Amino acid sequence: MTKKYWFPIFLIGLSCGLISCVNLKTVRDFSETSHVSIQNFEQIDYTFLDHCLDRCEDEAIGKYEFNRVLECPCELYVEADSVTQIMYQAIGGYFEGLGNLSQNELTTYSTDAVVNSMTAQELGPLAIDANMAKAYSTLSNILLRSATDFYRRRKIAGYITEANEPLQVLLSAFQGIIRTNLKGELRFKKERMYTYYMDMKMNNTLQSDYEKGKATGDYYRVLEEIQTKEKQMDLFAEALNAIAKGHQVLYDGRDKLSDKDLTKAINGNSAQVKRLLSEFNKLNP
Amino acid sequence: MANLTSEQANQLSDDFFYLAMAIGDFRYANWERLTLEENKELSEIQGAILSCGEDILAFSTTLVMDEVGESLAKIRSITGEIRGTIKGLKSIQKGLDAASTILILGVAILKRDPMGIGNSIKDLFMVWKGSPE
Repeated sequence: MTKKYWFPIFLIGLSCGLISCVNLKTVRDFSETSHVSIQNFEQIDYTFLDHCLDRCEDEAIGKYEFNRVLECPCELYVEADSVTQIMYQAIGGYFEGLGNLSQNELTTYSTDAVVNSMTAQELGPLAIDANMAKAYSTLSNILLRSATDFYRRRKIAGYITEANEPLQVLLSAFQGIIRTNLKGELRFKKERMYTYYMDMKMNNTLQSDYEKGKATGDYYRVLEEIQTKEKQMDLFAEALNAIAKGHQVLYDGRDKLSDKDLTKAINGNSAQVKRLLSEFNKLNP
Repeated sequence: MANLTSEQANQLSDDFFYLAMAIGDFRYANWERLTLEENKELSEIQGAILSCGEDILAFSTTLVMDEVGESLAKIRSITGEIRGTIKGLKSIQKGLDAASTILILGVAILKRDPMGIGNSIKDLFMVWKGSPE
């Protein structure tokens, strides 16, 4: 190999050797998957307020009551919704920020302009070999990027450290609200439906076989709709749990964010969140 | 008296649910023995207990807020810092562009090329001040 070609290769090799190439893909992928998964909260399509309004309407139906405007006292349910909204925004906002911060585009800069200007004719007597120019450019890019990536990696590790404890608390609380409180309301709705149809049966309200069959079909349809929502809530809560575990893995390996074992562990976790995401989407009408 | 926790509230809601269910089962098991009035009264009590259990669940959700207030404030503050860092990194592009231009200037100086030096200084100025669009 001639000296002319050896030097550029040496420069690139040296720079890559001295500064390990930063891999924040693990953090980025996990954050993005988590963010998308958390956004599914909006797809659940059932809120505390919806529940209160449904109940209000069911009660009016049960009493065979007609009102020009159905007045439903739902202040408590609106307040409960605002709590879930606050949690959703806080957790989603964190992962969105972490995902953005770990985007390579943030510190990837085009070196084409540099290469072009170094090899341009306008430089006159300064005739720089194209390979040499590319080597200089690559080296400068790696050096500059490593400075910002180092800063970024340090910042990300810092944020993960700081955020882990409160995030675990929030994810656990959010999970509890979805699985116990919101899904719990559906259990009451199911019981209300059961009572409504059972009373109808015991009172012999329905006479023809057709009416009886129709009522039975209606009951099981409502039950199925509720069960689909329950399943969605379970999957969403499960995803929150997987996200919490993934963040814990990131926290435990915060000092070696480019480590292969960490990447493997996080990828496994991301895959689980993606699987739950896909199952969740299948339930959407 | 100590404040009710969300967990205790959920437990209460659970108790209300099973109580309402038991009243319903009792009504259906004794349908023929109960007078219309008795059945109606029991049905109303059952409905009220269900509503109460539902309200407690919604209330318990608001109690969670008191329990996670500190964590929430911390996550919000960290998210704010992350956004600030991203903003800072975006402005670094300007610095990096300038650094790349300085590199060319350095090469030109090393090669003792006056024309290259002149052009590089001009480019550096343009990068720093922004290209006229």
